[in-house]
Amino acid sequence: MPMLLAPSFHWALPWALPRLAPDAPPTPRPMTDPASSDAALMALAGGGDRAAFNLLVGRHGERALRVALRILGDAAEAEEVAQEAFLRAWQAAASFDPDRARFTTWLHRIVVNLAIDRTRRRAGAPSAGLEAAVELADPGPGPEADAVATEARAALAAALGALPPRQRAAIALAYEQELSGAEAAAALEVSERALEGLLRRARQFLRSRLEGS
Amino acid sequence: MNIARFALLLDRHGPALARWPESERAAATCLLAASAEARARLEAALALDARLRRDLARPDPASVARLQDGIARRIVRAPMPDRPGPLPRLLALLRPALPAGWGALAAMACCALWLGLSPPRAAPEDPFGPLQTLPLAGDAF
Repeated sequence: MPMLLAPSFHWALPWALPRLAPDAPPTPRPMTDPASSDAALMALAGGGDRAAFNLLVGRHGERALRVALRILGDAAEAEEVAQEAFLRAWQAAASFDPDRARFTTWLHRIVVNLAIDRTRRRAGAPSAGLEAAVELADPGPGPEADAVATEARAALAAALGALPPRQRAAIALAYEQELSGAEAAAALEVSERALEGLLRRARQFLRSRLEGS
Repeated sequence: MNIARFALLLDRHGPALARWPESERAAATCLLAASAEARARLEAALALDARLRRDLARPDPASVARLQDGIARRIVRAPMPDRPGPLPRLLALLRPALPAGWGALAAMACCALWLGLSPPRAAPEDPFGPLQTLPLAGDAF
């Protein structure tokens, strides 16, 4: 009786097949599903899956770059910071715990810390970079943008450049869509109440600086 | 609610009243209906909000593409992600006990300590040992 049943077990026991057919070609590595959640992609990246990590970069790269640009005001520096943030995320991928924070919150925290550190290091001329950002950033309508709009953007960039780095980071995160107040506060490593305080001071300052411009 | 309180909340939560704490919304709506100054402050806040949404810097598509290419190139050369050390792994193992609170963790730690430090026990005593020393009928004394 066992002899009769044995052949039907071969298909049910896939781990037995390599021994039965040692010359069979190795099964190809499964493609990473682009629809996977951030947490699933990070779990794969933690195991060394570069394709999974590249999917995360494609999904969140623009946002990370935007936050860095709004804090630093310099496109080249923002690119460096965003790249550095993703490399740190790659290195720490195996330690990422989705039960403790969402991937985006975790990534924003790295970006914000790196950008604020860099702003403090070049404390000599923080506003120069932000004014330059007006020319480097996408102006929207294109070259035909009228002079009034350009002037308004320059005035806003100059006012933002005069803000302390943490208030600028609070504004950058608060105007990031899909980011709740709690996530913005977690990215800045402050309580929601403290974030509201940063935003209050930043808005008061910006309004007083931009009045009439 | 007075104007000063309204202005404070406006700066703290922004001009969208829907984002304000529910307990403050009704009073703010009443103040807006009654006070021209409150309406003027709301208008100023709305103007700043619109300006920030419109004019905050945005990266151009070329720099986004450059960022993605740069990261892809660098992680090919970068070492594999660091494996977490023993302490994070231990904490991850203990996490299921967290909902039970610190008491459960302390009890687990005490058990581990007791098991680790308790001296090895000698060979178990034979429960019938004392009986073997009793004189039996027929034994020669």
